[in-house]
Amino acid sequence: MKIQSPEDLEQIRKSGLAKIHPGHVRIGVGTSSCGIAVGGLELYDRMRDIIQKEGYTISLVKTGCIGYCKEEPIVSVSIPGKALVLLHKVSVHDAERILSLSLSGEVPEDLALCKVTDWDHITGTLVYGDGFEHIPDYGDVQFFKHQKKVILRDSGFINPEDIDEYIAIGGYRAAFQALTNMTPDAVIDEVKKSGLRGRGGAGFPAGLKWEITKKAPGEEKFIVCNADEGDPGAYMNRNEMESDPHMLMEGLLIGAYAMGVHEGLIYIRAEYPLAIERLMIALDQARGLGLLGKNILNTGFDFDIQIAIGAGAFVCGESTALVASIEGKIGRPRLRPPRLTDKGVWGRPTDLNNVETWCNVPVIIHKGAGWYAGIGAKGNTGTKVFSLVGKVDNVGMVEVPLGTSLNTIIYDIGNGGAEGKAVKAVQTGGPSGGCIPARLFDTPVDFENLNHVGTMMGSGGLVVMDEDTSMVDIARYFINFASSESCGKCVPCREGLKHLLLILNRIMAGKGTETDIEVLKSLSDTIVKTSLCGLGQTAPNPVLTTLKYFGEEYERLLSTEV
Amino acid sequence: MKMAIDHSDDRKRVTITINKNQYLAIEGEIFLETAIREHIDIPHLCYEKSLEPYGACRLCMVEIVTCGKTEMTPACTIRVHNGLEILTDTPDIVKHRSMLFELYLSEAPKSEIIKEMAAKYGVTRTRFLKKIVHDDPLMGKCILCGLCVRVCNEIMGTSAIHFINRGPYTVVNTPFFEENPACAGCSACASVCPTNAIIFEDLDGQRIMKSWSDTHIALARCEVCGKHFAPEKLLQATYAKLNPGLIEHIKKICPPCRGKEIARKEIRGMNPR
Repeated sequence: MKIQSPEDLEQIRKSGLAKIHPGHVRIGVGTSSCGIAVGGLELYDRMRDIIQKEGYTISLVKTGCIGYCKEEPIVSVSIPGKALVLLHKVSVHDAERILSLSLSGEVPEDLALCKVTDWDHITGTLVYGDGFEHIPDYGDVQFFKHQKKVILRDSGFINPEDIDEYIAIGGYRAAFQALTNMTPDAVIDEVKKSGLRGRGGAGFPAGLKWEITKKAPGEEKFIVCNADEGDPGAYMNRNEMESDPHMLMEGLLIGAYAMGVHEGLIYIRAEYPLAIERLMIALDQARGLGLLGKNILNTGFDFDIQIAIGAGAFVCGESTALVASIEGKIGRPRLRPPRLTDKGVWGRPTDLNNVETWCNVPVIIHKGAGWYAGIGAKGNTGTKVFSLVGKVDNVGMVEVPLGTSLNTIIYDIGNGGAEGKAVKAVQTGGPSGGCIPARLFDTPVDFENLNHVGTMMGSGGLVVMDEDTSMVDIARYFINFASSESCGKCVPCREGLKHLLLILNRIMAGKGTETDIEVLKSLSDTIVKTSLCGLGQTAPNPVLTTLKYFGEEYERLLSTEV
Repeated sequence: MKMAIDHSDDRKRVTITINKNQYLAIEGEIFLETAIREHIDIPHLCYEKSLEPYGACRLCMVEIVTCGKTEMTPACTIRVHNGLEILTDTPDIVKHRSMLFELYLSEAPKSEIIKEMAAKYGVTRTRFLKKIVHDDPLMGKCILCGLCVRVCNEIMGTSAIHFINRGPYTVVNTPFFEENPACAGCSACASVCPTNAIIFEDLDGQRIMKSWSDTHIALARCEVCGKHFAPEKLLQATYAKLNPGLIEHIKKICPPCRGKEIARKEIRGMNPR
């Protein structure tokens, strides 16, 4: 069936709702990469086998990740009329007990993490029910309490492999609204007014980029989604695609309509096989319902998306290298200008946005720019998803309004250092970012304030270090990463990073001298100022920030021999 | 106002400022070209007029002045326009250039050309560990400017060589370090190499591209003097682009013999018997 009218969409919404509230028990198993890593699939298979063998009337689905990666595998149990209960750290041995208890309207309370009575998907609301007085509310869980879920609104609740469920909670309604009731310019205007800035790290106003692409001369243009997330410790985009792929599709569709583009590409790294698989499924389903392809929603608008899989180079996240990679060339950046908006994929004007930027689009259209601009801080609107990892107690996906302080993220949500250790610093922005010491944790997390303390927003990885971490070793780790991921085109990045690494190795081995520290500083300065692309220009940041904030750790390692 | 422009060129002239002095320049040309013409010393290794600007060597970094603010940019990427203001030798530029020269000295320790260029900036030694590669086909002189790869690809259309690996492990060679039958032996790579890193030898009727995995290319023999003079494959490729009448005339004759032949004909024409 191809959706052609609001009635068609409504009909699918209802059938999707019947899957979420089937009138009997529904169990969802968290099977994003994080859930799978701790046995989510085995648990799912075990439950499926039992249900088949016993002939239970239970709907069993795979869901995405609710964000609390530390507590995976997380299982959601929805009993008609009762609150949805999230069970945590579930093992295959609990499968039998969960299933049989659920049939009698109960859940194993010893495994319960929290309950959800109703859920605001922003594009729609789901009401589950009450009961389970002894189980804490979702909002009372420390990890969830301080978060605001906009991008992750559906993650962990719906089946990412079923478009009906996405439509059930109001999905594709924004696309329908845009394509049938708004002019392309009105859509761009709305995105501009929302203040949405690029979530890939640079923070360029998304609406403005759309407008530039739209105005660029030429008939054939491309929109591209950058899903080449490669920062160590960052997996926001992976989770967004694995848990809610249609959110991305819808964002791309609305963007394509606004810019008058008919071809979309998702450039995704080969290291994300599950995300690729779920995107492929989502593409097929969207095509099946006429949400992609020719004459979308009977509006005469054509648009389709192809997936381009990377070959494993971090530098291919850089826009010009990404384009070279799509074209089958060696993944090396080229000089800019021309910018992609003038000369991108196959020389045509191209709009490139990060996964999360696209994911913001449906809610902006659905709720309006005013609603969106009300979240976050002035000039830094909306929320941002962070992957909170490293030596922090609560590891997971964290979504907070921009402008939230690092204190809130690391202490209130993350519960401080793992195993009760004191937190020393946090690395933001991956290898391009820098280490922020704990004394600056009142810094609001937004594009400008992070730059101000010598680091950057980046795509959203937050790697926490505790009192046992050697900051020199951290700098060495990131320089090693950047050096081995350098494309080798320009000399400061290719040779400069190599020598930074050699010097850091020498210091770590206790053979460093005061002169080495001076060379670290001046060489870093040259790499920053003279490198060709963003990789080199930002790669020395971990060295510069650790020298600035933790200089005494370097001093302590210096050779005492004269 | 200083000028050193060929006046037969009718492209638009604009006034630009280089190091506080005014010059006439051609609108739209690459600023590095202007600087070379005006004998303003900007070191560069990866620029070649006949190729697209590449911006890899980073030595030609200069400062563009806009509204009193300066921004560091490679001179090979700046297009000349009226009122362009450039500084080419600020203390900042000299500092970074010197550091880059140190990196080059460690990357290509055997290159005399790099040593000479660096010495102009007072850089005679490097603080960085020198790269020593045993049996390096590029003699410890390659600085990965990519000119050879680009000339082979963009001008000769051969793509016999390319970059291999990435980051500090990048090298240039033939695929899988094997003899490459695609190589026409034109040696354009060697003539464009800024550090003379690429070596080849003509021996026993063969051209041996020593730097490129010892790729052998047969040389054509001159029908007149019997000497080997050019790679057969290169001649074939060239003939394919010429009109047939011309080919018959020049085929299989080396340039000196052809010169003699033409001269003889001319002389015969002047003295009819």
